[in-house]
Formats: sequence, structure tokens, C-alpha cells
Amino acid sequence: MGLFGITIRRVGRRFISSIPALLGVLIFTFLLMRVLPGDPAVFFGAGTNAGQAEIEHVRKQMGLDKPIPHQLLLYLKDVASGKLGNSMTTGQPVLADIKQRLPASLELTFTALFIALVSAVPLGIWAALKAGSLIDHAVRMFCVIGVCVPTFVSGLVLIYVFYYMLGIAPDPTGRLDVFASTPPNITGFLLIDFLIVGDMSGWWASAKQLILPALTMALFVLAPIARITRASMLAALGSEFVRTARSLGLSSWRIVITYALRNAVLPVLTILGIVFSTMLGANVLVEKVFSWPGVASYALNALLSSDYAPVQGFVLLMAAIFVFANLFIDILYSISDPRISIE
Amino acid sequence: MTLLRAPNFVLSAIALTVALLSPSAGAQTRAETLRYVSGGSVNTLDPTMLGSTREAFAVSMSTYDRLVSFGKKQQGKNWVFDLDKIRGELAERYVISPNGMKITFYLRKDAKFHDGTPVTAEDVKWSLDRAVTAKSLASSQLLTGSITNAQQFKVIDTSTFEVTLPKPDRLALANLATTYVIIINSKLAKSHATPEDPWAQDWLKSNIAGSGAYSVESFKPGEQIILKRNEAWNRSADGKPAAFLRVITQTIPEAATRANLVERGDADVAIDLQANDAAALATKPKIKVVSTPMYNAVSYVSFNTQMAPFDNVKVRRAIAYALPYDDMFKASLFGRGVPLFGAVWNNGPPTPGYPIKQPVTLDLAKAKQFLTEAGFPNGFDTTFSFNLGQAAVAEPMAALIKESLAKINIKVEINKLPDAQMSTQINAKTLPFFTENAGAWLPSTDYYYRNFYTGNHRWNYSSLNDPKLAELAEKARFELDPVKYATYSKELNAMAFDLMAQIPIWQPNQDAVMAQSLDGFVYQFHRQIDFRDVLRK
Repeated sequence: MGLFGITIRRVGRRFISSIPALLGVLIFTFLLMRVLPGDPAVFFGAGTNAGQAEIEHVRKQMGLDKPIPHQLLLYLKDVASGKLGNSMTTGQPVLADIKQRLPASLELTFTALFIALVSAVPLGIWAALKAGSLIDHAVRMFCVIGVCVPTFVSGLVLIYVFYYMLGIAPDPTGRLDVFASTPPNITGFLLIDFLIVGDMSGWWASAKQLILPALTMALFVLAPIARITRASMLAALGSEFVRTARSLGLSSWRIVITYALRNAVLPVLTILGIVFSTMLGANVLVEKVFSWPGVASYALNALLSSDYAPVQGFVLLMAAIFVFANLFIDILYSISDPRISIE
Repeated sequence: MTLLRAPNFVLSAIALTVALLSPSAGAQTRAETLRYVSGGSVNTLDPTMLGSTREAFAVSMSTYDRLVSFGKKQQGKNWVFDLDKIRGELAERYVISPNGMKITFYLRKDAKFHDGTPVTAEDVKWSLDRAVTAKSLASSQLLTGSITNAQQFKVIDTSTFEVTLPKPDRLALANLATTYVIIINSKLAKSHATPEDPWAQDWLKSNIAGSGAYSVESFKPGEQIILKRNEAWNRSADGKPAAFLRVITQTIPEAATRANLVERGDADVAIDLQANDAAALATKPKIKVVSTPMYNAVSYVSFNTQMAPFDNVKVRRAIAYALPYDDMFKASLFGRGVPLFGAVWNNGPPTPGYPIKQPVTLDLAKAKQFLTEAGFPNGFDTTFSFNLGQAAVAEPMAALIKESLAKINIKVEINKLPDAQMSTQINAKTLPFFTENAGAWLPSTDYYYRNFYTGNHRWNYSSLNDPKLAELAEKARFELDPVKYATYSKELNAMAFDLMAQIPIWQPNQDAVMAQSLDGFVYQFHRQIDFRDVLRK
């Protein structure tokens, strides 16, 4: 059987147990959207002179003329057959919209997470090693600022400095310069697609577009990662095995990285799963500021115009991603500490 | 085995995509491209779709032709559309019968759709049939020009087409120049029609079957659309194709980013910046701001005339004299617009147009007196609502209104609503007191009164139900004698002031912020850029 089999089994069990939660989310959002006071039929049926007839037509077109339980059944049937309805705001099927926009959000989130990780973990370790010192306070201050400044402010400041004043960054208008040609859609991740076709100038162009928004988001999630790293490192460094290792005269690098960090990494992994999922949804403002064509700004636009289908699709997607992210973290758990079994 | 085969598959996929990619993306110079950035997005290529956005209207003006189009006239330093000067677009010329009940269009013989098929009277007939029959925004618009059913359209021969009217309607011809009345390649559209969708509405949402100045090169709903010039197009006033080789319309949700883009010269034009940004950019050397009062739009402070205490005209009058107009105008619009307050009417409204300056000013003593007469000497509590999308303008306005009305003991609670909720509540007539905007594509006085002061629909903001006003507006609509029409219009203006159902407060400016090199901008009835107008010097 081995480690692999155990992990697979656990992942499978976790996945099955999350299906009721997904279903619950689905039904809850469905009902919530209908309880909200906005009426999409009125909003979309509204050309000048449009009267009740147009409104009723839109209502029928959106299937809102049927009783709510009936609507719910139809929706569940649609979801089961892999459809998520149509968006009135973009005029496209929600699934097509999400397929097109999710890679944009994921690419941004992954990059931001990567930046946050490679800066926050060392910062956290450093702060833990020098606990109580000036460095510790400086790191704390940096984290506090990162988490306090709203993302749209930091985003606008970055744009102002790097685009408007210095002119180093490209214009903050989406994933690729409008005059550049797009790579063929293979994975939807521009950085990967450009690499696949070997277009390095295209890769660089899309990377340049990505840096500022990713940085903005990374700043925002720096704090939780750095703080958790610091706290769990402190605990690990104060534990007996580290003292033993020190007394054995092991190199401090080896003590910190191999022994302390490996033991301290579990809470960091836990928080990573949460951070990742929240980032994907919470980057609405970053997507707005940088005109990033992602799923979060898509959902917000739909929400403002009470467009039910995209919002429901978005929440379902987020719930699914949450489940998958946590599954993935579970797998990482067992790799970092094979003794762990969360049943 | 399967694992071993995977790299082969990937390799061939790469080879294929590289092969597909290489021929595209020819070199385009920046100067020949117009890059327009807007807050809203294009959601459909068919402007008649229910729920289509204003950005979609703008695109459709360039991708489709109509039978006729509006001319332009100078207003101050700027050019604006001219409702009274209608020229042929797909029609070479048109003739209106002496009794005003028949309009004959003689189509251009050289006009072709994007795919090369000639434009015929059959196409026009199919397109107009679609406009009045299919469930879309077009039918209710054409209703305002007495064009209601397919029997009114007749094909005389391949290039002659006739529209018959039940009554000589003043706005019939103008209606045919509006955004919705696109002429569609009927053969192409019909080939994509289905029994459930006989008018190909589904297909036309994401495909163009037109003859317009531009065709669509790429369309990403909600993100951007790239248009390519139609070299064969000659329907402009001077018979030349459009000036730009390409037009990029891009959605940039953040107003500050749009302002930055235009200022840095990366984008060429934006029309929906915030008033303070536009004012600041006007001082920059590389930027030109064409600031045109939106003469076919008006902002209101509206009362629900069916809801206590606003069902009492004296209460409405009291508030009309208690609004801090000057402060609102400065705080909300930074003075960028045409104020519609502070007029003096000696004997009735001086002009027949709409909207006209109202004889209202801030006069708290008068307001107090009206309120006492209405039976509310100690004031009352109410809410003032506005649309979240209008917050930049409406928020300072609401705060000032609250402050001012507190002085006559009316306690106002400010109610900020998301767009969809606001329209729902206006439609349900549940908001007592709010601000809204109105725009009229065809800004004639009777049109305003018919749409914004009568009827049981969302646009009758104040839910006014005054049979006399409704009757007069209907009478004016069919009055062909300009002198009589002016008399009726003045009468309507007087009635509206007397009823005080809503106060027209101002007409905001449209600030078109653009690169110095751009020229030819015309303020259009749809309040968007018509890409066919602009050129680079």
C-alpha cells in the first residue's frame, strides 16, 4: 500500500465528504440571489420606452417566471449536465466565460502566492530567529502595512509610481498589451502558452503585465504567512529537539532549515490553503484596478446587475476550488509529515 | 503505453498551433489605430438585444448602416448631432409624401454587406420586420415613431422601399436613424436562424451581418473588441471610408486608470472620466477636452407623486425651493454642465424646448411657507435614494440636500442602492424621493413628456398620472405645424412646472478627453463616440 495509497484513499474520502458541502453552497447561493432585492428582469429589460412586456420577456428568458423550487430543480439539472446558465452581462454562457477568465485569475493568484511565499517565509524565519529585536519589529511593521493598506490603494500607488511617473511598467490594462498578438490558447496561462510556442518576447510582455498586480496581491497576503511562519518557527526553535540539535553542535543552517522549519511548516501549509482560496475571490479590487479579465471582477459586475447565473457559477467554482486546494494541502501534509492522518 | 505517447501528442499540438499562429498579426502602425477606453463593456454585437450596453450601441453604429443618419451642427465650439437634419445612409435619398404618411427610400445601388452581397430592399424589409416583430429593444423604440408592424413596410423594387404611417408622426424618420434600426444581411442571418429563433438573435449576438464602416476583427465580451476598417464603405457625408484602420474598444473599469492612460498617450480617447479628472486633464498640454453639454439628457430630483407626503404638490414645491442648487452644481459637477435652475419666468415658460431653465432657487422662507400650507409645519422624515453607479455625482448632492432640508425640519436618510436594486425599486414605485437621469435619443419636447411624465413604467420616475398632460403630449406628437407644436410645448413646460413632479436640475457635460492629435469628435444622440467621426490630424 505505502504512503501513496494511503494518501489517495484519504483524498478520495475527503472529496466524497465535501460533496454535500458543495451542494449546500449551490442551493444557498441560489436562494440568496433570489432573496436579494434587485430584479434582473427590470434591470436588463430596460431600454428607454421598454415597458412591462419587455421586462416579462426577459423574466421568461431567464426562467424567472417559474416558482423558485421549480427554478432550483432546473438549475440543479443544468449543473448536473455541466451547464451553468447564461450571463446577461456578457451575453455568453457562464461556463464559457469562466473557462476564459479562470486562467487569468489563477495565473495572477499563483504568481502572487509565489511572490508572497518566497518573501514571507524567509521574513518570518528571520523575525523568529531575531525575536524581539529591531528586525522583528521591522518585519511586523512591514506586514501590518501590507495588510492595512487596501489592495486598490496599493495597486493605484504602484500604477502611479511605476507606470505614470517612471514609465517602467506597461499600461495596466489586462494581461497583454492590446497591440501585442496573443498566443494560441493551450492552457490559458499566458506565461505557459508563450513558453510552449517559444515566443520569449511575448512571454516577457505578459510577465511585465503580471508583475504589478501580483505584487499588489502579494503585499496583502504577506502578513498572515509571515506571522504564522514566525509563530510556528518560534515554537519549533524553543522545542527540545532543536536544543538537542544545538547541543550536538549541528550547523545553525541545518538546525533552522532541516529540523525547525520542517516541523514548523504544517501551520504554514494550512494557512496557505486558506490564503490561496481567499485570494482567488478577494482579488476583485486588484482585478478592477488593473483591468484584469478574471473571474472575481466578472462576478462582481454580475452581482451589481443582479445577474444570477454568473454569481451562482462563481460561488460554486470558488467552493470547488476551496475543496481542491484543501485536498492538495492534505497531500502536502502527508509528504511533509507522514505520521499525520486526518480522518 | 499511454504515458509514452503523451509527449508526441504535445509536440504535434505545438507544431500545429505554431503553424496556425504564424500568418496572423500583420504590422499595424499605432497612428492608424484608435484606442478607446471605457468603463462599461460591449456585451453584444446586436444592439437590439435586451440588456445591451451603451458601449455596444457605439460599436453597432460603426458595424451596421441604417437607412438614414443624423447630420451635425455646431454648438459653441463643439459639434453635436442635428435632429432636424437627416441625411441618407444606406438610402441615397428619401421622399416624404405631402400628407406625411408615406416615406419612400431610394437605396444606394453600390452598397454591399461585409461579405460582398449587395444591400437590397429585401434586406431592409427583413431588418425592419425583425425590429418590430422580434422581442428586442427595437420594437418599443420604433413605437415612438408610430412604426409598429410589418404591414407598414413595402418593397417596391430591389432598391426602393416604402414605409407607411398610420398618422403623420414627427419622429418616424428620426427613429429610423437610431441605433436599433440596423440593416442586416438577411440572407446571411436567415441561414443562422432556427425555428425557435427565427430572427437569428442568438447568432447575431456574437456575429456581424452588416454593411457598416467597420467589421469585427476580434470580440471578447466584457474585455475588448477590435474593429477593422471596411475599405468599400462610402456612406459617410463625404463618401470616404472611416479614418482609422483599426479601432480598439477596451474596458478599463477604474476611472483613474483610464485618466492615466489617456494622459500618458497610451489611449486616445475616453468619455466617461470623473468630472474632477477631466477638469485636471484639461490643463495638460498634450490633452484636449471636448466638453459638450449633453443637450439630450437631463438630471432630475424626482418625487413619487403617488406616495405620501409627496402626493401633495405643496410638499413638492417646498422642497423645490429648499434645494441648494448652486452648491450642488459646484460640488457634484464641478460646474461642468448647464444649470437648469435660477430662471425668471415672467409670463409662463419662455421657450418650447425641453428641458428649460426652471424658475426655482434656494429660498428657505418660501419653502417653509409651502410646507406649512401643506400641513407639515414640523417637517417629516423621508429617504433620498441614488444609484451606486452615479455615486460620484449623487453622493455630494445627497449630502447637501440632507443638510439643506434639515433646515426646514425634513429629516432625510440617504439611501445608496446598487444599480439593479434602484431600477427594481423605481419600477415598483417604492422610492419616495430620489435622483435619476434621463436621456432622450430624439430630444423633442413631446418625446420627453410622453416618456418621462406619463405611463406606468420605470421611466415615469415620479409616477405622475395627469391625464391632461398625457393628452397634450400625445396631441403634440402628431402636430406637424411648427407654430402650434411650439404652443403645445410651452403649455407642457408650464404644466410640468406647476405639477412639480420632478425638478430638472442640470444637464451634465460630456467630457471627451482625447489626445491633441484627434479631431472631428461629434457629440452623438447615443452619448457615445461614433468612431466614423474621429480622425487623426
